[in-house]
Amino acid sequence: MDFVGKRGRFFLLSLAVIIPGVVFLAIAPGLKPGIDFTGGSTLTIGFSDPVDQSDLRAELAILDHPDALVQKLRVVDNEDDVYFVRTKELNDDMKAALLDGLETALSPSGLEELSFDLVSPVVAAETVVNAFYAVLAAAVGIFFYVWWAFRNVPSPFRYGAAAIVALLHDAFIVVGVFAMLGVVADVEVGTMFLIAILTVIGYSVNDTIVVFDRIRENVLTYPNRELAEVVNLSISESLGRSLNTSLTLLFTLMALMLFGGQTIREFLLVLLIGVVVGTYSSIGIASQFLISWEYGDFRRLLRRRSSGTSAAA
Amino acid sequence: MRRYGRLVVFIAVLIGLATLILAFQNIAVGDFERGSDNRLGLSLGLDLQGGSHLVYQAALRDPDTDEILDVSEDQMEALKRTIVRRVNASGLGEPIIQLLGSDRLLIQLPGVTDPDRAKSLIGETARLEFKRRSSNVLVDLDQFTQEDIVSVKAGLLPDLNAEILPTTSLFPPESATSTAGTVATSTATSTAASSAAPTGATGDDPLAPVAIMVEFTESGAAKFNIVLDRLADNLIAANERIQALGVPPELAGGLSNPSRLDVTVEGTEQLRFETISILPQDSPTTFAILVPPIVDSDQLPTLEEVQGRLGDDPKIFFAEFQPFADEDIGLTGDDLARAFPSQHTASGAPVVNIEFNDKGTRIFAELTQNIVQKEQEGRGVDQIAIFLDDEELIAPVVQTAITAGTAIIQGPGFSLERVLDLALKLEAGRLPIPIELIQERDVDAILGKDSLEKSVVAGFVGLGLVLLFMTLYYRLPGVLASVSLLIYVGLVLAIFKIIPVTLTLSGVAAVILSVGMAVDANILIFERMKEELRAGRTLLSSINIGFDRAWPAIRDGNVSTLITCAILFWFADRLGASIVQGFAITLAIGVGVSMFSAIVITRTFLRFVSTSRMSRRTHWWTPSGRSGVAQQVAAPVGQRS
Repeated sequence: MDFVGKRGRFFLLSLAVIIPGVVFLAIAPGLKPGIDFTGGSTLTIGFSDPVDQSDLRAELAILDHPDALVQKLRVVDNEDDVYFVRTKELNDDMKAALLDGLETALSPSGLEELSFDLVSPVVAAETVVNAFYAVLAAAVGIFFYVWWAFRNVPSPFRYGAAAIVALLHDAFIVVGVFAMLGVVADVEVGTMFLIAILTVIGYSVNDTIVVFDRIRENVLTYPNRELAEVVNLSISESLGRSLNTSLTLLFTLMALMLFGGQTIREFLLVLLIGVVVGTYSSIGIASQFLISWEYGDFRRLLRRRSSGTSAAA
Repeated sequence: MRRYGRLVVFIAVLIGLATLILAFQNIAVGDFERGSDNRLGLSLGLDLQGGSHLVYQAALRDPDTDEILDVSEDQMEALKRTIVRRVNASGLGEPIIQLLGSDRLLIQLPGVTDPDRAKSLIGETARLEFKRRSSNVLVDLDQFTQEDIVSVKAGLLPDLNAEILPTTSLFPPESATSTAGTVATSTATSTAASSAAPTGATGDDPLAPVAIMVEFTESGAAKFNIVLDRLADNLIAANERIQALGVPPELAGGLSNPSRLDVTVEGTEQLRFETISILPQDSPTTFAILVPPIVDSDQLPTLEEVQGRLGDDPKIFFAEFQPFADEDIGLTGDDLARAFPSQHTASGAPVVNIEFNDKGTRIFAELTQNIVQKEQEGRGVDQIAIFLDDEELIAPVVQTAITAGTAIIQGPGFSLERVLDLALKLEAGRLPIPIELIQERDVDAILGKDSLEKSVVAGFVGLGLVLLFMTLYYRLPGVLASVSLLIYVGLVLAIFKIIPVTLTLSGVAAVILSVGMAVDANILIFERMKEELRAGRTLLSSINIGFDRAWPAIRDGNVSTLITCAILFWFADRLGASIVQGFAITLAIGVGVSMFSAIVITRTFLRFVSTSRMSRRTHWWTPSGRSGVAQQVAAPVGQRS
């Protein structure tokens, strides 16, 4: 199979996903921060009828509080089922509607509002910014390590750069997809999302390096062959491993998605997208980036553009 | 074969250890205690297991009326930051700490169901203050002007049966501060005995003690009474300090000395002395200030001597001599980053380490530099007095200027308990405002018990699918890899339990990723092995070469992940993103063990099996549906040993 020859299509495919994602990120509201980041209101509710946590969560979703966090409080001297609910900021009307809805659906014998408060964010918004800086620093670390680890092949720093490009590619796609989901399906992102992104980045780097390892080996085994040929051979040789590894992860994630609880579905969705994108980017982005650099694609692209502008002038 | 044998024993021991660790829900060996309420005894986070739900109310009270005062948003933010820091330092995993309304704080702590533990962790005490304790301070009482004083006369005390307060020595004017060392050794009690000697003297007796009779105006007398009350309180406090110290007064240093009234009378010749012997006279505006013996003589001055010095129009000035004075320097518990017990690097003696934040470091540096400079200039040895809720904890001297913001407090009599206690109190005092616990509950997992139980089952289904896939696709090696994966999961969980790591969803994500990497490592090895088998190598050499070829990829992939973990951890630690930190730790453990599992466990299994009879079943070793492989592995290998 000729992977290298199709690199233009790989790049276009990725751009086709990244560009709308970036557009959605740029236009309001972009990523919708969840109550972990924004704070909101808390309600402590005592139900006279026995209420199940999952039923309460489902009912809250129906009442337009899909991202509410629900915890059961164990109160020794109280027979009622008491729940501690954190959700978006409520005004009095919204609160009344929420309590009425819950009473009708879950606890016809009545419920009691035990406390009602505004609540600050669990995670300060700067945590996200800080995590972003941490990821940037980690990318720099990875760049230097890959550069060092590939010191025996020609132009080793290109491998470092390509690994970082693939990492950013994966992160942008996942974040972009969630920005779209935020606009289209009202999906909010919380701390779970942050962790999922970190996981995707970890997977992306590992997968890229495994493919690069094969290229490294083949470049040293066949020093006289063209890089394009070597990269193509390496991708073909490692394809079985790439597919098997991502398949095993997808098995686990699919099983969790299908049979697991509702509460971690958003988290799993990020991982699922991340595994697919991470496997794809090692072949379709990182390796092709090496080729494009070697054969001056980027230079050509720039020249074409600059010659176009000069012609226009 | 012998080498593999040793490895097999090593692996078996590891498996045994991990099984033991996980089999006993709670482990307690001496001080070492691990375990929790779940079946494997793992510490689980709030999202997975729940814990304590505590609501605190800010309780800043007016010191006079005991009414609760309003707190500002900044104060609540500072309080939250302090508690976040404190809970994070306890290694309890990721707490949830949120401000409720304008003056309450919600704290959820994972796994903690013992209310006392939670409370001791958060601490309710309030104000820790660092003050500069200057020695031998003379404070001018400039509230007294000459208008406050009606007359100043020398006189004999008419009746000494009245209780007499002790005096100290008479100073030549220029030595008020520099001779303080000698002052420090004379004490309230000892001088009281000697100066009480002239008791019973009559008005005409030339040996009767001479006093300076000062008549104030009414407002002047009121001000003077305030000063006298303060001196009397200070005398009582000094006596209490001596008793609290439990040492002879001469060893108690400046602490044992009460403040004294420093009196300067400008007449024909200056008369200056310090005393606390002041007697109210019949008129409420007149006070008798006893003149103590003149320096270098035990003799009390005579009336004539004093009168001679006073002349016709004496002016009197008051100052307060304080053996030590605590000065507010704006350094409080909020500026302290942490305090913890440790050992002196050289002597091994127990010490308390303290670390300040940026602002604290700045103030502390300036303070210690000033103190050292003052000491070098011979102007007395100042201390840093540390108070918790106005109770003095300790007042160390400064040995050197400390600009880095970290210091140790050491003492000759420091026991381990004293150091622990001190560190705990310093930590406790870092709360900027006092708080009171108003609600305390147990709380269930955020992700919901029902949902999590389903997810655990789903996780097992997923793992089962992975093992099934590996077995079907890679045959015997797949089975071996599956076994080593199960061992891997057991080892990781055992390590989490022993450290202990509080497992949250972010930890689970890290475990899924590291399981993925462990599977990947196995797949890499098998793919390479398969290639070597196909190229016609013997089984054992295929295994060896397969491992060698797969190793660089596994190494570089895992090392770059470990680098990522280290950088994330370091950044998150500095930036206070504890969820990121938790992720980095669990991922690093997972990756480390995954490398070990692929390289040591799977490899040993493969080699072990390849020397057994199973090695002859060549079709057990290769994926199904691949023709042209079986006949190349003609000779059974590994039989030479």
